Amino acid sequence: MAGGGWRTKRGRKAVAAVVFAVLGRGLVAAARLDERVRAEAGAWPEGTVITLGIGPFGPQVSWRAGGGMLEYLGGAEVEPTLAVTFKSVDGALPLLLGMKSVLGAFAEHRAMVTGDLALAMSFVRCLHIVEGYLFPDLMTRRILPRPAERRAGHLVAYGALVHRRARLEGASS
Amino acid sequence: MIPDYYEFCNSTKIVSGTRALEHIGYELAALGASRPLVLTNTQLLELKVATLVLDALADTEAEVVGVYEEVPVDSSASVVDDVARAYRERGADAIVAVGGGSVLDTAKGATIVLSHGGTLMEHRGAESLLGRRAVAFIAIPTTAGTGSEVTSAAVIKDTERHVKMGFTSLSLLPDVAILDPRLTVGLPPRLTASTAMDALTHAVEAVSCVQANPLSDCYAKAAIGLIRDHLPAVLDDPRSPAGRLALANAALMAGAAFSNAMVGIVHAMGHAAGGVAGIPHGDAMAVLLPHGMAYNIDAVGDRYGELLLDLAGADVYASTPADERAAASIATVRAMLDMLHTAAGLSVTLGQLGVLPEQIPDIARAALDDGAMSMNPKQPSLEELVEILKGAL
Repeated sequence: MAGGGWRTKRGRKAVAAVVFAVLGRGLVAAARLDERVRAEAGAWPEGTVITLGIGPFGPQVSWRAGGGMLEYLGGAEVEPTLAVTFKSVDGALPLLLGMKSVLGAFAEHRAMVTGDLALAMSFVRCLHIVEGYLFPDLMTRRILPRPAERRAGHLVAYGALVHRRARLEGASS
Repeated sequence: MIPDYYEFCNSTKIVSGTRALEHIGYELAALGASRPLVLTNTQLLELKVATLVLDALADTEAEVVGVYEEVPVDSSASVVDDVARAYRERGADAIVAVGGGSVLDTAKGATIVLSHGGTLMEHRGAESLLGRRAVAFIAIPTTAGTGSEVTSAAVIKDTERHVKMGFTSLSLLPDVAILDPRLTVGLPPRLTASTAMDALTHAVEAVSCVQANPLSDCYAKAAIGLIRDHLPAVLDDPRSPAGRLALANAALMAGAAFSNAMVGIVHAMGHAAGGVAGIPHGDAMAVLLPHGMAYNIDAVGDRYGELLLDLAGADVYASTPADERAAASIATVRAMLDMLHTAAGLSVTLGQLGVLPEQIPDIARAALDDGAMSMNPKQPSLEELVEILKGAL
């Protein structure tokens, strides 16, 4: 592990960066597999860029919805329409590792939102669906507001992580 | 139980009591301000309520640089930007906001624009406004409901999309809140009841939402007790200064509670109903509170059970079996609503407020997207929201 392992802040940021990469492709994979994600992201305004990150100086992941597609942008520097930024890596990791719910992290003031809160709510609903594909039921029972409903199995979802783009429903192109 | 993690902040100075308004000159001077812009609406000027504040300001060293009286019932982003423009043009160094939630929230929006530049819509978000506020800000509520005088939240309408936008930031907390019973003794019974139910909803949701913490609980429960003790008495004797001051303090305490614990499904539905159907916020809260509680009961029944003590008093609490207290709390809220329907003409259904059946899907959709929903102890589906709203129709 980079910089002295899990116990150092640098190490924890490295872990977060890996999870962001998986989550980033996970949202695209979920959009390919699940019509609920396609419908949510398809309703986002054309050109919407969403960034999930850790501030300051932490890793981040971004997506762009436009042209009828949802695209994984990785950790590229972007001008986000909506930014969900964790205040510290220690506040982010429990969520990223499936130990705490997204809404639980918000309840504990672990993150701030810059942008339209209605869009943030839609994004959170997408994250819930993605978590349903990435994590086993043992974890999702604790972190999701309702039992995970999957349109495909975990293995299929993991297989779909290779894609960087997914076609959306209802999006203007 | 102490949460694993919580935050609590209430930095606003409270000035509460008989002729408290007369200290406004001192409070402005203490803030280093001398050129306030007064923000209010025409109705409050016609009723001579805002005049009380202007009279108090006239007897100070401060120079009122203007009175902005065009704040509408629902504050909007464009009005906020206009207020900020007026503030700059007149060289003001403080905002004195006199009014209900719309005036106070408009003032909060203006402080965002004045502190951070641009337009209000560029600053949407939650906890994302960093840095100190550049404007001295005194909030003077003329209703006892929103608690906006001590909250870090503002609700401002996006008139293009017909949605109410929530803003949360500690920089929205006013420097000073002044509660003077002279400002609320003239409130008509229906508005008194409606605003009190808004405050009650803040308190109940503060206790049941996921950000609830030991300090917010104290404020919320004290607020509920004050409303229980004083609302019926004030409806009987509207000009009672002591009763009015008690309700003003209840609203303030409920505001401090929800500012730190947030609100949930009742407010999410209420904001949505206000945006889609234009119904008054307090009226929406009154109608929707028991329905929201009924939905949440299996998640937070223990917390509602605790509230029976504050909602109904010690005798009822003691004589109600522990496993029946949550339902008894909801029944008490319903009984209070019925009492207010009889005593003050408060509506008890969304239909009575003018909501049409065909508006329910749009309200449900907007409620699902409302930021308040994220703090509710249960996350409803769109279909569940439609059913709850139909039940309230």
